[in-house]
Amino acid sequence: MSALRDWIAERAPIAEIVEELEHKRVPQHRHDVFYYAGGVTLFFFVVQVVTGALLLMYYRPSAGEAYESVQFIMARVPFGWLIRSIHAWSANLMIGAAFVHLFSVLFLKSYRRPRELTWMSGVILLGLVLGFGFTGYLLPWNQLAFFATRVGTAIPSSTPVIGHGLMRLLRGGNDVTGGTLTRFFGVHVAILPGICTFLLAFHVLLVQRHGMSVPPAVAAASKASGRPVPSMPFLPDYMLRDLFGWTLAIGLVAALSAFLPWELGKKADLFAPAPAGIRPEWYFLWAFQTLKFVPARVLGLEGEFVASLAFGLGGAALFFLPLIDRNTETSRRIVTWLGAAALLYMIAMTALALRAGGGGPVP
Amino acid sequence: MRRALWCTAAWACVVVARLGVVSAQTPMAPPLAPVSADQARAAFQNDVHKAAGLTCATCHDTAHGDQYVAPARTAIPKLCGTCHANAEYIKKFNPQLRVDQLARYVTSTHGKQNAKGETRVAVCSDCHGAHGILGVKDPRAPVYPTHVAETCGRCHSDPARMTPFNKPATPPAEWATSVHAKALLERGDVSAPTCSTCHGGHGATPPDVESVSLVCAQCHIREADLFRASSKKALFETISQPECVTCHSNHAIQHPQDAWVGFTDDTKCGKCHDESIPGADVIKTVRGDLDQLNAAITTAAARLDRAEEAGVSVDDGRAALREANDQRINARVMVHAFAAKPFTDVSTKGLQSAKLALADGDRALGEVRYRREGLAVASVFIFGFLVTLGIKIRRLDQARREPQKAKES
Repeated sequence: MSALRDWIAERAPIAEIVEELEHKRVPQHRHDVFYYAGGVTLFFFVVQVVTGALLLMYYRPSAGEAYESVQFIMARVPFGWLIRSIHAWSANLMIGAAFVHLFSVLFLKSYRRPRELTWMSGVILLGLVLGFGFTGYLLPWNQLAFFATRVGTAIPSSTPVIGHGLMRLLRGGNDVTGGTLTRFFGVHVAILPGICTFLLAFHVLLVQRHGMSVPPAVAAASKASGRPVPSMPFLPDYMLRDLFGWTLAIGLVAALSAFLPWELGKKADLFAPAPAGIRPEWYFLWAFQTLKFVPARVLGLEGEFVASLAFGLGGAALFFLPLIDRNTETSRRIVTWLGAAALLYMIAMTALALRAGGGGPVP
Repeated sequence: MRRALWCTAAWACVVVARLGVVSAQTPMAPPLAPVSADQARAAFQNDVHKAAGLTCATCHDTAHGDQYVAPARTAIPKLCGTCHANAEYIKKFNPQLRVDQLARYVTSTHGKQNAKGETRVAVCSDCHGAHGILGVKDPRAPVYPTHVAETCGRCHSDPARMTPFNKPATPPAEWATSVHAKALLERGDVSAPTCSTCHGGHGATPPDVESVSLVCAQCHIREADLFRASSKKALFETISQPECVTCHSNHAIQHPQDAWVGFTDDTKCGKCHDESIPGADVIKTVRGDLDQLNAAITTAAARLDRAEEAGVSVDDGRAALREANDQRINARVMVHAFAAKPFTDVSTKGLQSAKLALADGDRALGEVRYRREGLAVASVFIFGFLVTLGIKIRRLDQARREPQKAKES
């Protein structure tokens, strides 16, 4: 055994990594519960990879077979219903956890120097996670997903000059067809996971390199009192707490999957009229509702394009936040208020969209 | 006779306006309202005949110079027939268009009365319009299936028009309550029967007692075949009962009910039979099996619904339930055989399918229990693991704090 350990140690610096982690410490303060949001998001991502790989064994990405293959998974494959339900619930919980992680990092100002790249890679990862949601939504090829994707992929068409091309790029044609399904499948299981894995490794590496950020208020209080911020070892104390959170998460996913298995709905019919209440998944509802409120023409431009442009500018501001925020008390306060306003806006718009009712999404 | 002559004269002697036509309305004129020259010209812009290149002069006499004269009502069928009964001519415009309308019209009650000089009966323009005639497949046309009853009802719902001919003015209103009207007007099924489906369009005539079943058999083929092969056929002929109409009525045809089979006053069988007749056991068997099949299907459907609500797929059960439903429809058709054996052969198949559906529902509900038990077992392990982790974390915290406390003290 010892020989094997020595053989491995000579070839892989595992002992050094473990030693480094043993020396790593995590600050303890009243906001430290938010440190776990990132770990939970990562855990759900791993669940997605594992369950997604299992679903791949039976899923067939064509308009003629996709729905039937998901039906087969749910009805005939042993524990297929559980795997699909876990995949669907975990996807939604991952996106929820990613949003909690983003806003907690924003409010705790953890994006400050030297963590700018950690933040930027995190914002891209959130975009990729939303991309996973958007592309995965269509894969069961059911009625609501088909029409919601038709609406979603039509939004870029309002962009001047390149709009139609963008829409065709997304759809793989002029309309949502079996070609779109194959395209979305490829993006969902190959392109996005490839980019995501690389960025995730980079993001986690940076987190480990820089350690957990201490919020400015906690750091200031510590400085004023002359006492250092309390901390705990990463291994095993913090790791066990992370494990506690992951176990809770798997319990939650198992309960949701057993009591509320994810529905499949009706197969997409390209010639059927759009069912009432078409709407995207909950995490796009705020944007969907915003588009509803935007007038058809704004300053001579198409309303949808103006709204999309505003979303894009908002995304860019979020991405470059560490460079925009000058890390003064005033700037930090402005970021807190803007963040709170954005969060409230998203919650209010989502609530309005849910209140409007409708068929509801079926991933 | 004087009245008829007066009407004919009134229609023939139209009030002619400059460059147009205005028809005079008689006290009993058909519902086509007279129009002014401007209205006629405006309506003709959307007329199929205008699109085919016809003009006012094609139909109207121009003997009065620039003033058009409306044709006499009795002359209208033949006037239209000039083109519409001419195969050689009409195929230039539409090779698919039939040319037997006039031939059929002269056999109709309307046509026969018209031939006698009666002007109060319908002619072509009463149903199709005069100056804004639309193609029969145009959903706006008064002869499009969804509008036929309304068009016929303009005369046939009017007691003032029907009483002189000793006809009831109730059929359109009765039809409006029927299962056929619901199919046509509510579901938009244009294959559902309306007035012209049973009475004919151009050759409109009430079907007589012998031909009622032939009319119904246009759509209800199996029921008609079973009835003709049954002992009821000869019996109904003997007692002059109008076959289908005896149980189903004619215009106000309702969706058949299983409860119609039986001996009580509210049943159809009970109107003629009581339990003392020799075939009473057939009626009891049919009703008993229908009730049993209905109960089995309802129970199975509820079981499958419960399983589906709990998230378990019941595709096999749904397929079996569809089969049971199909057999129930089949069994309801087999009622028209008026015999036990052919009916029970089908109802038994339906019951077997309902049992299969029920069994799949039970299996699915068992699966629900299995999932929840599995979750309960997993929850115990998860909870145990969480407690263990919690204890370990607490101990680690204590171990970390003790040296600190000792240092501080």
